[in-house]
Amino acid sequence: MRDPVALLEQMLRIPSHSGQEHHVAAFLVEQMRAAGLDAHVDGAGNAVGEIGQGPTVVLLGHIDTVSGVVPVRIEAGKLYGRGAVDAKGPFATFVCAAARLAQAGDVPFRLVLIGAVEEEAATSKGAHFVVDRYAPIACVIGEPSGWERLTLGYKGRLLLDARWQQPMAHSAGREQAVAERAVGFWNNVAAHCATYNADKSRLFDQLLPSLRTISSGSDGLADWAALMIGVRLPPEIDPALLAAQLGPLADGAALRFHDGCPAYQGEKNTPLARAMLKAVRGAGGTPGFLLKTGTSDMNVVGPAWRCPILAYGPGDSSLDHTPDEHVEIAEYERAIDVLVQALRNLGDTL
Amino acid sequence: MDAICPECEATVPLLEGTVEGEIITCPDCAAELEVVSINPPELALAPEVGEDWGE
Repeated sequence: MRDPVALLEQMLRIPSHSGQEHHVAAFLVEQMRAAGLDAHVDGAGNAVGEIGQGPTVVLLGHIDTVSGVVPVRIEAGKLYGRGAVDAKGPFATFVCAAARLAQAGDVPFRLVLIGAVEEEAATSKGAHFVVDRYAPIACVIGEPSGWERLTLGYKGRLLLDARWQQPMAHSAGREQAVAERAVGFWNNVAAHCATYNADKSRLFDQLLPSLRTISSGSDGLADWAALMIGVRLPPEIDPALLAAQLGPLADGAALRFHDGCPAYQGEKNTPLARAMLKAVRGAGGTPGFLLKTGTSDMNVVGPAWRCPILAYGPGDSSLDHTPDEHVEIAEYERAIDVLVQALRNLGDTL
Repeated sequence: MDAICPECEATVPLLEGTVEGEIITCPDCAAELEVVSINPPELALAPEVGEDWGE
């Protein structure tokens, strides 16, 4: 890839909200082919590129973004645009690193790049499509960690919709208002999590609830109230277990639990982590490990592949989904250098 | 081959087959250490595991 900045800038100029990734996928296939990879769009709409032979190493990023237009521009060494951090920047890093290895004729294994669709949707369609199609010996997930740091794990998640309905009653009557039942349930959920968290100092080990939507109304005969709650899960709490614990707290609501996924944490003493640590130090950095409060495609493929896995990519994740989303160009270029060297280091261990 | 623990200055034996980037534990102070060099043998405190919001 002769110009990494031009590649990422062009990716940012192609809108790709979840479910609408086909244009950017086609662009990436074209770019990966030009770099010497065999590339295609797979049955889920993922942009897939491959090069090399031998055991498989997967670089799995995502090419969809959340909604919201961030004007694409370069200012003071920063490239702005929706997805610059989450996560077109990390996937562009993958493409540029693979291109550099391809150009050098120096791909020590079968390297598979997957630009997955619908990571920002709870469906994780792209990752679910590939999870049974590959059995890699190592995997790097493309998410922002900063060029010096390696993300080892992500919390799990459970979403729930709750709805209450009851005959309309006068507000001066003795009946509890339906909206009060909804608020009572939220308070119960928050208290349940606070009790669980009481002796846990790390966010990664806590239950983190959020009230995402709340609404209520009446048709003149019946009153209703509805909530949507999300809970971020620690490794010890499976989605099904939490659902069983929260159900009895719902005061008769109709409940629907959905899009649950368990937390996942990779090992830090693996050939992949060593290769990355060595590459970061070799570039003059001070490596660090991270555990994240969110979820990523690691939650989908990690439990199935059970191979050395971590997430890596340039960018400050506090800029994810914000109107100020941007990546420092110098950091992006440094991350490419680190990944190239890390893949070479990993190849040396095979 | 031995290295020095940067935390407690104990002598830490590096077993045959130890590789750069490997994380080992100091037998004296139990600090987690990263093997940053084999020749010459050199250890650094292993990266800490931090937390971050995101994704």
